[in-house]
Amino acid sequence: MARAIEVAGLTKHFGEVLAVDDLSFTVDEGRIVGFLGPNGAGKTTTLRMLLGLVNPTAGSSSVFGTPYRQLDDPVHTVGAVLDGGMLHPGRTGRNHLLALAKEAGIAAPRVDELLELVALSDAANRRAGGYSLGMRQRLGLASALIGDPKVLVLDEPANGLDPQGIRWLRDFLRGLAREGRAVLVSSHVLAEVSQTADDIVVIAKGRAVAQGSLAELMARSGGGIRVAGPDTAKLREILVSGGADVVGEGDLIVRNRTGEDIGRLIAEHRIVVSELAPIGTSLEEVFFELTDSGSGGPS
Amino acid sequence: MTRLVGAEVFKLRTTRTFYGLVLGALGLVLLIVVLATATAGKGDVTLRDAIGISGFAQVFALLLGIISVTAEFRHGTVTPSLLVVPDRARLTLAKLGASLLVGFVLGLVATGLAALIGYLILDARGVANTLSSSDVAELIAGGTIAAALYAALGVGVGAIVRNQVGAVVGSLVYLFVLENLLTIAKPLRDPVAKYGFGGVGNGLTGTGDPTAEHPPLDQIPAGLLLALYCAIFLVIGIVLMKKRDITA
Repeated sequence: MARAIEVAGLTKHFGEVLAVDDLSFTVDEGRIVGFLGPNGAGKTTTLRMLLGLVNPTAGSSSVFGTPYRQLDDPVHTVGAVLDGGMLHPGRTGRNHLLALAKEAGIAAPRVDELLELVALSDAANRRAGGYSLGMRQRLGLASALIGDPKVLVLDEPANGLDPQGIRWLRDFLRGLAREGRAVLVSSHVLAEVSQTADDIVVIAKGRAVAQGSLAELMARSGGGIRVAGPDTAKLREILVSGGADVVGEGDLIVRNRTGEDIGRLIAEHRIVVSELAPIGTSLEEVFFELTDSGSGGPS
Repeated sequence: MTRLVGAEVFKLRTTRTFYGLVLGALGLVLLIVVLATATAGKGDVTLRDAIGISGFAQVFALLLGIISVTAEFRHGTVTPSLLVVPDRARLTLAKLGASLLVGFVLGLVATGLAALIGYLILDARGVANTLSSSDVAELIAGGTIAAALYAALGVGVGAIVRNQVGAVVGSLVYLFVLENLLTIAKPLRDPVAKYGFGGVGNGLTGTGDPTAEHPPLDQIPAGLLLALYCAIFLVIGIVLMKKRDITA
């Protein structure tokens, strides 16, 4: 499968702030890659560098081997929806698309086809200032698809969509990937991406903290054993001195020991416990753990 | 490039701001031409003065040029525009082409209307007309080219100062306040009248008073100088456009 997107060592300083730090990943054709991280992790800056909008301090990015700004035919190669308004409130939705179509040399019938596709035909001749957030997102999606591109880059496309809209988007992205397109979709909400993405890239503070398939990611942070009881402080000492990875005071979570290992220690040292149980790690917990929960602040 | 210029004209004419500015410019010019020619005492207002009133259109052309760039930054539409046309110099030049075109038409209509209405009213009042038809043609050509060049200047200003309010307010304050304040200093009066932005506009339109204490340049040198100013602003604007990050 051809490599659609390649990001290599991208770095961006905004003055003193290091927004993106030596980030590398790839997206292959026919794959949906979820680009995850808390708000402020550097997702939008990365996507903007990929699309030639922000000049990287170091590193490079390319689409089918060519930097975006040097693409012969960007509209038919990459479609993108980035976060933000991106609409003139006084221009109708249809005219917004028509302006882009004219720029790209695409005929008007394609515009009406897209308005139909994103279910905006009825609102097409209304000024976009009155559109709901979901309608704006759909209009953005329509503008991204104007040249029927092989690669899609979507920054937080689910923002402002209601549950039906999110499901619609999910099916829509699946359909695009089935047609052999590469999709890079960013989100700060793991659940949005987990049911859609083939691969995940997780970033925090501008650095990639994990990348791989969902299954690999889950395996990497595989649960642990929960132990509760009156004597856990003593058990903790014994476990730690034995080289175990223990989290928590009182109730313990032991990462790298099986239930049986811990059971033997409990019997050997005659410790009273009230609970000894494996815990299943949710994807959400993996995400929080990887991104050092809350590094982006509550937002 | 023709396609891109067409798209930029389309972007301009699909907002209400555009119609507001165009109708505002023409309405204002017409109103003042009618008031001036119909109410002034005989001999106070000549046809040259009436055509000179259409100089207002140049300020509106400047605003149109500024807005063709800054509206994209204000509303974030610069992002989809640059995704379609990633070459920022090309996008800026397309805006330049569209603004020159719109400014040219606006200038032609404004000066043409001012000349026609002014002539009709003054003639009806029996005010003698001292301008030959080639004089009038030169005034109309000057006013038209001045409006086109002011629109081009606006594109350069907008590319340098991307903040719409800043660019609009800044250029109006400069034209109407700062440049006049400069003339408080006596040694600056002559250079400002000749080489200032307002001065070259007056020179190019040919409506300035040649017998004034500090007369403007003749039409052709004034036009060339204004074109040079436009080129300087546009080159700086394009360099900055290429260098800056597009984050909104």
